[in-house]
Amino acid sequence: MKKILLYTIPFLLCATVNAQDPNQVFKAAGTPVNPKVQATWNRYYDHAGITALCKKIAAAYPDLVKLTSLGKSYAGRDLWCLTITDFKKGNELNKPGMYIDGNIHSNEIQGAEFALYTAWYLSESFADTKFIQELLADKVFYIVPSINPDGRDSYMHQPNTSSSPRSGVKPVDNDGDGLVNEDWYDDLDGDGHITMMRRKSIHGRYKIDPKDPRNMLLAGADEQGDYELLGMEGIDNDGDGRVNEDGYAFEYDPNRDWGWGWQPNYIQNGAYKYPFSIPENRAIMEFVMKHPNIAAAQSYHNAGGMILRGPGASADISTYNSQDVAIYDAIAKKGEELMPGYKYLVVYKDLYSAYGGELDWFYAGRGIYTYSNELWTPYLMFMKESTRSPFDNSSYNFDRYLLFKDGFVDWKEYDHPQYGKVEIGGFKKNFGRAHPGFLLESDAHRNMAFTIYHSYHTPKLSVADIKEKDLGNGLIEVTATISNERLMPTHSSQDIKNKIERPDYISINTNAKVLAGMVMNDADLNISTIQKMNPSTIEVENIPGLGTVKVKWILEGKGNYTISVDSKKGGIASRTK
Amino acid sequence: MKKLFWIVSCLCIYGKANAQKYPTLTEQNNRLTQLAKSHPQWVNLQSLAKTAGGKDIWLMTLGSGKTETKPAIAVVGGVEGNHLIGTELVIQFAEKMLKQINKDSIQQLLSTHTYYLFPNMSPDAMSAYHDKVVVEKLGNSSQTDDDRDGRLNEDGFEDLDGNGKITQIRVESPVGIYKVHPDDPRVLIKADLSKGEKGKYLLFSEGIDNDKDGSLNEDGNGGIHFNKNLTYKHKTFAPGAGEFPASEIETRAILDFLYDAFNVHTVVSFSSLNNLSYNEDKTTTVVSDLYNKITGTKDAPKTNAEGGDFLSWAYQHYGRYSFSTPGWWTPKAKPDTSKKEKALSVEDPTANYLRWSAQQGLSHFNEWKKIAHPDYPEQLVEVGGIDPFVMINPPYQLVESIAQKHTDFLIKMAQLRAQVNIQKLSAEKLGNGLTKISIEVINNGLLPTHSKFSDRNYFVKRLKVAIQLNDKQQLIGGKKLELINNMDPNTMQQFSWIVKGSGDISVEAGAPSIGVAKKTISLQ
Repeated sequence: MKKILLYTIPFLLCATVNAQDPNQVFKAAGTPVNPKVQATWNRYYDHAGITALCKKIAAAYPDLVKLTSLGKSYAGRDLWCLTITDFKKGNELNKPGMYIDGNIHSNEIQGAEFALYTAWYLSESFADTKFIQELLADKVFYIVPSINPDGRDSYMHQPNTSSSPRSGVKPVDNDGDGLVNEDWYDDLDGDGHITMMRRKSIHGRYKIDPKDPRNMLLAGADEQGDYELLGMEGIDNDGDGRVNEDGYAFEYDPNRDWGWGWQPNYIQNGAYKYPFSIPENRAIMEFVMKHPNIAAAQSYHNAGGMILRGPGASADISTYNSQDVAIYDAIAKKGEELMPGYKYLVVYKDLYSAYGGELDWFYAGRGIYTYSNELWTPYLMFMKESTRSPFDNSSYNFDRYLLFKDGFVDWKEYDHPQYGKVEIGGFKKNFGRAHPGFLLESDAHRNMAFTIYHSYHTPKLSVADIKEKDLGNGLIEVTATISNERLMPTHSSQDIKNKIERPDYISINTNAKVLAGMVMNDADLNISTIQKMNPSTIEVENIPGLGTVKVKWILEGKGNYTISVDSKKGGIASRTK
Repeated sequence: MKKLFWIVSCLCIYGKANAQKYPTLTEQNNRLTQLAKSHPQWVNLQSLAKTAGGKDIWLMTLGSGKTETKPAIAVVGGVEGNHLIGTELVIQFAEKMLKQINKDSIQQLLSTHTYYLFPNMSPDAMSAYHDKVVVEKLGNSSQTDDDRDGRLNEDGFEDLDGNGKITQIRVESPVGIYKVHPDDPRVLIKADLSKGEKGKYLLFSEGIDNDKDGSLNEDGNGGIHFNKNLTYKHKTFAPGAGEFPASEIETRAILDFLYDAFNVHTVVSFSSLNNLSYNEDKTTTVVSDLYNKITGTKDAPKTNAEGGDFLSWAYQHYGRYSFSTPGWWTPKAKPDTSKKEKALSVEDPTANYLRWSAQQGLSHFNEWKKIAHPDYPEQLVEVGGIDPFVMINPPYQLVESIAQKHTDFLIKMAQLRAQVNIQKLSAEKLGNGLTKISIEVINNGLLPTHSKFSDRNYFVKRLKVAIQLNDKQQLIGGKKLELINNMDPNTMQQFSWIVKGSGDISVEAGAPSIGVAKKTISLQ
């Protein structure tokens, strides 16, 4: 009795304190109208904020959401993972999994909100959205909003640019002089943003943009400039003649630390000691190794509006064969439709070559179909193609007319110990890569829709058809058709090539004696491959997407039987006859 | 006559050696603990990690005072689980050093130089040497599905003849690719099919095909091989290599320690790979010359690194000079004229081993013996072959003298390292309180300051040349701090600064793996 009270009281409190009076609101299509967890999706959350939201979502929907910590970051923050599925319907490990994470690069923050929005949306929409109910009956989502919470907090709470820090906070002597982080940005004007330094100079190559005096343009080749740009806000702290050369913002790159095609630091800038030498990545790897049901994955970065697939390095071109590329293409083309301004690209060819990236390990190392989205694109400013180039005024116009200059620190004079009289100013760290507030929810929703489409197309298996034939002499031939109704096979080609995951098992459970079992290579022409051992459990290397596999058993004696299929990435299904 | 007597007595010892086994892990651990206890001022012993099999990965530091500030050599054994001698060479190096610790030269060495000893990187595998059924094992105790069929350890070895050793089986077969060695019918060699030769036998390790997949003993107990688990050219998914590089506790234990040990200049490991007997890197021939001179060894089999190995990692990824030797290999046996032997008409390591071991009075061959084999019911199947371990590891009795030579080598090796000195510190007055300070930095060791290859490796600290000023001094010209790329032996570089002010000024040149030279000059 006491126990029931304990559970109901917080629930009631939740309902009365947080939810709006249902009479006062009218449902907008596709959005939870009166969510149990009130969350605002036009701002960002630090690690404590994410923790609080995760806890609220898990507490509000205990049958749909479980919150676990996958481990601790370098500085001891929890790596939160929300496991989302209909826990009343089957074991999560028997459902194809969709893994989502964000924020591997510290400054690329909105991935965490996008991931968290997905968790919130799935749990809040479950009650009145049939599609979500079916989805969570079949699939499980593993959502890790930030796999780099130290870096996240340091980006938000320390003075930074929109591009710093990229790495976590484990200290490294980047310049090899034996000192660690001895010379980094200095927030000279004390506003929490690291902006730029400019100095009036007749030898400068820059001039003020007549269209917007806040902007600096490179003077024409035959034109004299008025200003020189002196880099980001900072001083030469260690007196070595270089400014801002060894700071905490780039100790290492967490996205060069994964166990496929890993290369050391002198080949791949940003690599650390060995794959998974960054504690956050190690915790994620251990989780993924223990969850072979993860069939699809999404990692969120910023910026540029891209849906990226591997390979990350040209050395791996042959790893992605045509069958797998066809699946990648089909899902990503849908993504381009769902997310205006986003383009489907291949990392090594359209971006840059990088070894040891997360998406390469997920796909090549574990056989999981994986995308990285580069969130936020200048396209979203005026819903047309534009760039971040200083010669394209759209950033300044967007800031002026839609953000009312909240995205910019105005140039202000400063006495610099090394450069003398300079001016400090420029875009704030929350402009340029992070979404502005009013666009955050809509783009989070679109990206979520892409991941839902992706997860929907993980395999869905069924024992579609069973045929019996009497062979005489008390022998029966049973032929079963196993069907996969979705786009993805149970094993990607990379998986089959390297036998990453075990074969799928198609088994018959019966009192009759199983004399033989075989895979039908061609049922019409009666061509089969006989399994050598253990005929009641037939092993097949793959069940293709939108395809079938047929197997046949020869039974002696009568009796009921159950045919079941058991696939690590495809889930389970069975049928009794 | 004297010589003959010596040979005869050696043969007697060998007779005993036959029975004498290598020590157990417990015995070796006790020796390490004993050394640490009896020489606390020179030895520090710590366990870096426990393996999946619950065994310690030991690190013994030989040195004194702040050992981490002195140039160091890392010495690594047990790189392969069947390489018993490697572990003994490391432990006996420590024992032999400490036995002569009262010598000035050894105290001097250990006061200025550190040795990091990792006696055994494969303790899980190596313990199989003392199992009831002896088998050469390379993998640790991690659970692995070597043939990646979804079943763990479903097809291991079987001791079919019950002799307590896993040797080989040969199966007479029309598709056999092995034939009998022309000079020794016990030995099988590959038939040269391209020359029209016919094979007679299939050759496998001892066991049966438990899972009927057509391969024998392809997935037994035994996980990841340390020497396949490192990051350079790792063969991901290959049996014994792991799902990704550095997947194992012991691998990470040594990597984590060494990456933070910036004072290490050279890594010497004992494994099947050999770049000490033959060395293609011209800048380090001085090391192989030293090795060949001290050990007096010859006829070493040539070896190739196959990826994921420790030797390559230490050079390629750790950026240090890296050497490996098996420590011992079967000497080339001379034909025994009393038995009317002639030189082998086909060179073959097994045939050579059998000749050599016979001359030593050893008998490690198990004659081929017919058995019934379930996988080949209609065919002639015989069990036989050479005992496990004996072709890789010398009779235990020989280890002591081999260890002595390798101890001498490791001592001398420390003296080959780069030696950086500052010479010709001069101060030239430019007037009005300005002084130009110049130095020459010279490397008068026998090796470069670090390999040219590792200039860009940030786990290698380059030679730092720096000037230290006090509050009253000001640097007018020159660089306060400079990091110098690879500097060859017998080369010199000049540095100068213009300083305003007076008083003492010091300049230094050094790196953790070299040591720091410092000089001070007084300005007026």
